Amino acid sequence: MAIFLISSVSQGIIGMYSKMIKTDGDIIITQKGIADTFFSNVDIRLLDKINKIANIKSSYGVVVGASPIAKIPIAGVYGVSRNHFNHYELLDGRYPKDGEVILGKTLSKQIQSKSVKIGSKYFKITGSYLSDIGFEAGGVVMNISDAGKLFNRSSSFILVSVDNPSKIDSIIKLISGLDDNIEVKTTKSFVQDYNQFKIIENSSFVISSLAFAMGLMGIASVMSMIVNSRKEEFGIMRALGKSRFFIIKNLFFETVIMSFSAYMFALILSLIILSILPHIEMLQGYVNGSLSIITASYVLVSTLFMALLGTLIPAWFASKTDPIILINQGCS
Amino acid sequence: MIKASNISHFYSDEQVLYDISLEVKQGDFIFLSGDSGSGKSTLLSILSTLLEPSKGEVFLDSTSVDKINNIDMFRQNKIGFVFQFHFLINYLSVYENIELAALKSKKQNIKTILKELGISDLEKRYPNEISGGQRQRVALARALVNEPSIIFADEPTGSLDSKNSTLVYELLSNASKNKTTVIVASHDMQIKDYATSTIRMVDGKIS
Repeated sequence: MAIFLISSVSQGIIGMYSKMIKTDGDIIITQKGIADTFFSNVDIRLLDKINKIANIKSSYGVVVGASPIAKIPIAGVYGVSRNHFNHYELLDGRYPKDGEVILGKTLSKQIQSKSVKIGSKYFKITGSYLSDIGFEAGGVVMNISDAGKLFNRSSSFILVSVDNPSKIDSIIKLISGLDDNIEVKTTKSFVQDYNQFKIIENSSFVISSLAFAMGLMGIASVMSMIVNSRKEEFGIMRALGKSRFFIIKNLFFETVIMSFSAYMFALILSLIILSILPHIEMLQGYVNGSLSIITASYVLVSTLFMALLGTLIPAWFASKTDPIILINQGCS
Repeated sequence: MIKASNISHFYSDEQVLYDISLEVKQGDFIFLSGDSGSGKSTLLSILSTLLEPSKGEVFLDSTSVDKINNIDMFRQNKIGFVFQFHFLINYLSVYENIELAALKSKKQNIKTILKELGISDLEKRYPNEISGGQRQRVALARALVNEPSIIFADEPTGSLDSKNSTLVYELLSNASKNKTTVIVASHDMQIKDYATSTIRMVDGKIS
């Protein structure tokens, strides 16, 4: 279950951020040489020049930050250009003007006041919005100029949508030529190369692999203990004329059935937990999970392999022992 | 029928049997007697192919046990076992315990034997749902189901009262009268009344 949950949650975090970027644009512009979008600063005035390039459908700037909001220790703050507000589906109220914010659905359940303190400044709450991305649902949206002042930058990145996807490479070249201090990529390649995702992925892989390895050792030990505790039974069967093959074959099928049942139990339990996590208010929807078929298959194969290893090795040694010794070992 | 030639056995460095040779004819009922630690159970295990001797050779039906290709099949076809602690498998019913030992061609014997031993009403019960005497009768039924040519019994009445002990001896005696060779290792001297001969073990030797 550990590998299911750890991998799923890390994949969920990556998935949420990827979705946020991918659904909003085809091209992303960040500051050159900056590893994390949180530290990136791109001049928002570039938007005017970008919009003059042919085949540009829309473009807008985003400031991404995180800050304590009211009593919430940390929440996402998204400053966006006005032309991008319609990305956030209003549940009630209206989109914010300067000095105002709208709250994500999850956050709005926790903050009932008319205004909210973000950083050192108070913002009027003008409504709430819906988003299926946990980071957004648990955050606030404001004008990019307000967010720029809060986090001391023009924009964290600029997202550009194009009319014609076949022209994307030439558009990237044109945008790159506008400023020496920017890095322009397709959102797809950005997500693939993004260092933070690699760090999350690698560390979750290490943690879940360690947890999984311990789990597998546990499975092998338990199976081995079960087999050892049944030595008397194997001795009796051998005394009654049952062959080594008969005993090992029975153990093989028992192990496969037991391991598969345990696997299904862990999988279903993990899926239930993962479906509950986004709705836990305390987590603000930030902890989300998505379980891949590859992970599920990998866990299944490894579980079966280790369970069979833990069963068949002691069973093989037991099958080579004189039956009366097995019976006496079982009695002692 | 059964021949042991210069059998010696060691558990680690400790020698428990010393150069034992014996011969048992078909239909004999042998009482293997001796004190605890005299080596009678070890000898019984070696004669019944459940334990490989450290030295020496055992012949069953004139064939050396070492040269039997499929010892499991041989055991199932020729040998029946009764142990002191019945050793029934707890998750199998009475019927299934006997069926586990039965050859395909002998499965029709199960009901008959259960009836002969007076336990046909127990066939669906599990070992922990029946008494000690009933369990030992089930163990006996399991030993008899394949109509073996040899039955080995190690303290078969060790955990039974005198009434059930007598019943077990009578059943073994009947099997012996039907040309089945029976070898019983026991402390119980009552068996002398049924045995055709006695082999006494003292300190790993036949006295």
